[in-house]
Amino acid sequence: MNFRNTTRAWGALSKTLHWLIVLLIITQWLIARHADDLPNGLAKLQTLAWHKSIGITVLMFAILRLVWRWANPVPSLDGLAKPWERMLASLSHVLLYALIFAMPLTGWMMSSARNFPVSWFKLFQLPDLVAPSDQTFHQMHDLHHLLFKVLMVVALLHVLGAAKHHIVDRNDVLKRMLPFVK
Amino acid sequence: MTNYFSALVLTALIGGTACADDKSPATAKPVAKPAAAPAAAPASPAPASSAPAAGAVAHYVQATGSSLGFTFEQVGAQSNGAFKQFATTLDYDEKNLAASKLSVKVQIGSLDTQDKDRDSTLASADLFDVQKYATATYTAASLVKGANGVEAVGKLTIRNVTKDLRVPLTIKAAGAGLELSGTVTIKRLDYGVGQGEWKSTESVGDAVKLTYKVMLTKAAS
Repeated sequence: MNFRNTTRAWGALSKTLHWLIVLLIITQWLIARHADDLPNGLAKLQTLAWHKSIGITVLMFAILRLVWRWANPVPSLDGLAKPWERMLASLSHVLLYALIFAMPLTGWMMSSARNFPVSWFKLFQLPDLVAPSDQTFHQMHDLHHLLFKVLMVVALLHVLGAAKHHIVDRNDVLKRMLPFVK
Repeated sequence: MTNYFSALVLTALIGGTACADDKSPATAKPVAKPAAAPAAAPASPAPASSAPAAGAVAHYVQATGSSLGFTFEQVGAQSNGAFKQFATTLDYDEKNLAASKLSVKVQIGSLDTQDKDRDSTLASADLFDVQKYATATYTAASLVKGANGVEAVGKLTIRNVTKDLRVPLTIKAAGAGLELSGTVTIKRLDYGVGQGEWKSTESVGDAVKLTYKVMLTKAAS
């Protein structure tokens, strides 16, 4: 497997970033659910600190992915998808890229608005994005949750599209993003 | 008319002597006072020894524009808050630091970290326990020359636990009064601020940095 993408195959870095972000988003969802059940206290503080650190990690990977996408060819869908499928795929890809930026950024703003500055795994502290404000916090909180629902819907569409290629069209669109597959 | 005139003369005279009185201790003290004070203090009764100081030590009280902030580490991030209500008094004579006094009384319930949940956690029994200990106090019976400016030599009481604490002060003239500012770092666990799970310093640091800027105006003592 190549490290870089080609016009026909995803390279190792693209695949790794794709699946790492999938795993981190699932982890984020589990941590957030756990934090919601905790009373205010040390455990909640620590749990949310993990959520924030992992969220910032997703943001870092998102930046890396976008840069890598610009610096690499994107495997083509020529002959593999109908025009309406390609349109739907492009739309969902744009949305997914936007969401892996918007989720961490709205979370970061939630923290800033609540005067809980974000540290990345206790290694360094991030600057505050907005001034402390109850109103901003509630807006960002609602947006963060709304965007997660949008993410679930778009991710489902993305998975269904990949499944359709694999099961109905019997082509390599899914297989070429799978890890450990050439 | 003569009455009016004599009153003017009298006022001028008193004013003149008052001015002279104000100046003479200021210029004379560095030489005279250190020699006289140790000898006078044990011998003469308290009212007599405090009488000469009363003219030179000015009494100041807190004015608007004062702030008392605190910074602490919370899961790797420096976080901050402030006490919105506190009262400071300062008896100050820059030529006689030993006779200068500082007193600060902080209403713990006025703490504000811009998050209501965190504020109520800080006020709870395991941390400040505001129900039992509504105030924290700092009292210094004297000031000394410090590395950078002046230091108050006093005692800080939080949660009814009292510890010696030297507080560095930068004192400068501000309008008709003084501005007193500086920072000092204390350890919250020294004062029992952190019981139960909050005794751990893994996620909430022991060190708390206090940052203060107090505007003071002259008041009658």
